[in-house]
Amino acid sequence: MSDSIPASVTAEAIVDPQAPQLVGLMRRRLRLADAFRTPGAIVGIVLSCFFLAVAVLADVIASSDPFGFAGPALSAPSALYPLGTDDLGRDLFSGVVHGIRTSVMVAAGVVMLALPVGLLLGSVAGARGGWIDDLVMRFSEIWQVLPRFFLVLMVIALFGPGLDRVVLVLGLTSWALLARIARAEAMTIRERDFVEAARALGASETRILVRHIVPHGLPAVIVYVALLVAQVMLIEASLGFLGLGDPNAISLGYLAAQAQRFLRIAWWMWFFPGVALIGLVIGLNLLADGLSDRIRSGG
Amino acid sequence: MNRRYLARRLLQVPPAVLGILVVAFLLIHLAPGDPILALAGDNGDAAYYAEMRATFGLDRPIPEQLVIFVGNLLRFDLGVSYVQGRPAIDVVLERIPSTLLLTGAALVFSTVVGIWLGLIAGARAHRPADLAINVAALGLHATPSFWLAQLAILTLSLWAGWFPVSGMTNPRSSATGLGLMLDIAHHLILPMIVLASTEIAAVARLTRAGLLDELSRDYVRTARAKGVKEPQVLRRHALRCALIPVATVVGGRVGHLLAGAVLVEAVFGWPGIGRLLLSSVQSRDIPIVLAVLLVIGLTIIIANVITDLVYVRLDPRIRYR
Amino acid sequence: MLRLPLVASIVVLVATACSPSASPSPLVTATPAATPVPSTAPIAGGGGTLAVAIGADPGHLNPAITTSGATHTASELMYNGLVGLDENGAPVPELAESWVIEDQGATYTFKLRPGVTWHDGTKFTSADVKFTFEEVLLKLHARTRSSVGPALDSIDTPDELTVVFRFKQPYAPLLQQLDVTEAPIIPMHLYAGSDPAKNPVNLAPVGTGPFAFVSYAADSEIRLKRNEAYWAEGLPHLDEVVLRIIPETGSQIVALEAGEVDWVWNVPGPEESRLDQDTNIEFLRTDRNPGGSNCVMTVSFNLDRPILKDLRVRQAIAHAIDRQQVVDNILFGQGRVAEAPISSGIPWAHAPGLSVPNFDSSAAATLLDAAGWVAGSDGTRTASGVAGVGDGTPLSLSFLHFPTFSRYGELFRTQLAAVGIELRLQPLDPPVFAETVFTKRDFDTNIISYCNGPDPEIGVRRMFDSAQIGPVPFSNAAGYSDPAVDTLFDQARQTIDTTARGAIYRQIQEAVVAAQPYVWIVETSSVRGYRLPCSGFQAYAQFAQAATCAP
Repeated sequence: MSDSIPASVTAEAIVDPQAPQLVGLMRRRLRLADAFRTPGAIVGIVLSCFFLAVAVLADVIASSDPFGFAGPALSAPSALYPLGTDDLGRDLFSGVVHGIRTSVMVAAGVVMLALPVGLLLGSVAGARGGWIDDLVMRFSEIWQVLPRFFLVLMVIALFGPGLDRVVLVLGLTSWALLARIARAEAMTIRERDFVEAARALGASETRILVRHIVPHGLPAVIVYVALLVAQVMLIEASLGFLGLGDPNAISLGYLAAQAQRFLRIAWWMWFFPGVALIGLVIGLNLLADGLSDRIRSGG
Repeated sequence: MNRRYLARRLLQVPPAVLGILVVAFLLIHLAPGDPILALAGDNGDAAYYAEMRATFGLDRPIPEQLVIFVGNLLRFDLGVSYVQGRPAIDVVLERIPSTLLLTGAALVFSTVVGIWLGLIAGARAHRPADLAINVAALGLHATPSFWLAQLAILTLSLWAGWFPVSGMTNPRSSATGLGLMLDIAHHLILPMIVLASTEIAAVARLTRAGLLDELSRDYVRTARAKGVKEPQVLRRHALRCALIPVATVVGGRVGHLLAGAVLVEAVFGWPGIGRLLLSSVQSRDIPIVLAVLLVIGLTIIIANVITDLVYVRLDPRIRYR
Repeated sequence: MLRLPLVASIVVLVATACSPSASPSPLVTATPAATPVPSTAPIAGGGGTLAVAIGADPGHLNPAITTSGATHTASELMYNGLVGLDENGAPVPELAESWVIEDQGATYTFKLRPGVTWHDGTKFTSADVKFTFEEVLLKLHARTRSSVGPALDSIDTPDELTVVFRFKQPYAPLLQQLDVTEAPIIPMHLYAGSDPAKNPVNLAPVGTGPFAFVSYAADSEIRLKRNEAYWAEGLPHLDEVVLRIIPETGSQIVALEAGEVDWVWNVPGPEESRLDQDTNIEFLRTDRNPGGSNCVMTVSFNLDRPILKDLRVRQAIAHAIDRQQVVDNILFGQGRVAEAPISSGIPWAHAPGLSVPNFDSSAAATLLDAAGWVAGSDGTRTASGVAGVGDGTPLSLSFLHFPTFSRYGELFRTQLAAVGIELRLQPLDPPVFAETVFTKRDFDTNIISYCNGPDPEIGVRRMFDSAQIGPVPFSNAAGYSDPAVDTLFDQARQTIDTTARGAIYRQIQEAVVAAQPYVWIVETSSVRGYRLPCSGFQAYAQFAQAATCAP
């Protein structure tokens, strides 16, 4: 059944999985950190935790209002304003810190939408097979062929900027990827002894799904969640750069877009938001690599 | 069997494209915004706007407009641009060559450089060159293209003065033939590199992983044991199989490059369909938006079909129903 | 009141395009005759190639069928109006050599310049003028259609070189509405019998202007060459003009510095001070742009909203806004605080010295307290006995703006927060903005760049006229209605004497300042940048007609 899924549907990018029959290949591709496996994973974990802490403690780290006037306009980084100020005299340090928080919140929102839907649909499809499987897979194909960036671009450009819409559209277009992973995992264990044993003991299909199949698929799905989060952050920043950012929430993309006008005058305005974004994405990529190594060596 | 598979895949194309366009049509019409400004400019009076709406059929109910739209679409008529007053498809077709040039060049460039870097890294696995390439790939993969574009303009164009900052040709040159081609190539380099950067990282990672995998196989070990020299091992045995994963992602990369082109065209002032899409969405020039989506959708779907076929050829283990 | 004789007041004008005018009046007094050749002018041609950066693809190159700034920027070099406007806004001859105003300003007779030809060699005649107005401008040029259209009775062409405009009542602003921006003349022989909006000539235009069309590559570049047969002797100097489309202002500046282009239409404030160091780059400051002139950034209040019906709340907001900060931090000096509703770019109508609310937080707080908006412990104000508003409702207002004006929103949000008003920003693309504000009227406040144009009748009346509340984009956004003000606008339109007319506009401005349906923030100006050795530009219209790039 699964052989009929075209490779192109799943081969969206390096971070996307191959068709299920290529699970081995898919895992090989992720071995980025081979050369410095442990150090890479450590850097990933440290970076991710650092940015998560910044996001959670944003109000403590940068207590000044990112929208408030802090000092003279366009001052270069100094002891008083570690990352400088923007054209309205607002503290860029506070802007970047709260921008990281926004990026993390958008990503968290997308994950909260995509993860349950993807995990559940994928697990059910993989565990039950048959027409349910066919239905879920056909449906997820549609979502994967649609170029996600264009869809988000259209929705935001047409309906106006807003973080809620970004979360909604990215969430709705991201579950399909996770569902495919969860499905592949579910298929590998649905016939295994302990599942059969549970069935023999009279456990309901729902119980088997919840107790065995979903938890089994979770680790593999989490790897892709980390990569998905990195992608979401890049897309959100790109939208901001195209002038489609939400001015009611400071975000890294919005900061980068506003810096456009001051490219030659205030290098700090475009430099620091970009560096923060790159740090976030690198951290998440390394984290995902580390996780996939763990799963492989553990499984 | 492959022929049947191809026929089935090709038959899926028209409904998929129609679906994308109908969804886009509804999305645009349900969204707020009145294209009348694009049609008529500001400072008009109410009667004038009503006349213009009627001329372009915008006064009819949306279901009726949708029926008309689909009917025209089946006759390959995408309507007339509100801004330019000429057939939308003409406007879009004019822009295709430049986007094709940009994305095509970036596709070739990223494939060649990516495979090259991936092979170096794979062949020298766990050594300094490998480490350097890995770190660079990781960094490139994480860098937003608009940020890289700004960096490239500031350093390579403004400070070093090596490349022009925007456009496709030098306004002062009236060169034709070879001179014009060289001029375009000079303008192409920077946007191409920026657009290709993320893909280079992806291809390099894939190639490296594929190569390492093949090198660990028994037949390679045997060849080595027989005393075959390392470059030959690489060329003769490992390369072909290592490249299968690279080939399988080409379809997806076309989509990525087209999306990336929207940003890169905006920064470098490259006259392609990405910029056309952005400006048309902003002015609600609906016929143009739909025509651009048609072109993009078709390109991505066809790229995917080709990928699947290449994949089947490369790897005899795979069979499609 | 009128100082003009009842039967005929004949004012003949023969002047050069470069002569300074003493009186910035719509009714032009005679100026000394002069040859149209500047005395120091070198012979025509040999000026080299000028590369110009423009920000958007024009789509087509027919300025008569649209008011779009992109089309006008790209095409005005190829066309002429009947008259031009000098630096003070006074009319100077272009296709019309002279004119006579009769019947207190209800009849305008233009004598056309003889010997003018279209770029394709065809002779230009009065029939072209009549055709352009009747079939194109009065149907498709939004501003000319809505202002000249209703007032006009007929256009007659007694001979090939005479055009007579007859109005139903005296119509004062006409001479301000005949330049290449408001009324470019297009060739009848190429447009007659076709739909002008879809005529292919729009993409390969033929005009009478200083430069003729060569080629147009969509979204890339437009090439023009010198019009060898241009009517102004000795002009133009440039051999070739190339308009390059570069969408980002930042990229345009970079291209200017790199020498890839010689002229940019807009140097942003922060870049201006940086480029000042570059001895090869010069600036030209102006309030006039191809898309509209004398623009005033204006905050509108939706007067239908209960919160904003209270004059005290509107005045409080006006007091809470620090407009100097807009000039300093958003415009970087490229503009002035607006002292009156009508721009100072129309000096005879501008009314300085009115009691426009200045920046005063404590006055704002007092007004809000009085209006029943009580500040809570965190500074946010809530309603307490405000008519039409439930007690406890927070003082929170939506603020709609084009994405390009987001900095205004961010600045006002912080300024208003200081007096306890919350502003929720809503960036909207122009088509959505127009629909939301003018059709649905779903907003509390917004910001619009209202361009006054060369005459208040063109760009000011629409903001206050009670007949212009409704679904027409960029009309009366506030929903302001005062019959007395409507009547005053009618009077002003029919008053030919500038001083008398100015006095009426002063009355209007006093009334609307007292009612405060808008807050007039800043008058914006633009700074053109050009690169030596190119020189000899004017800031608007056929900006490069006297320019040269020869060292």
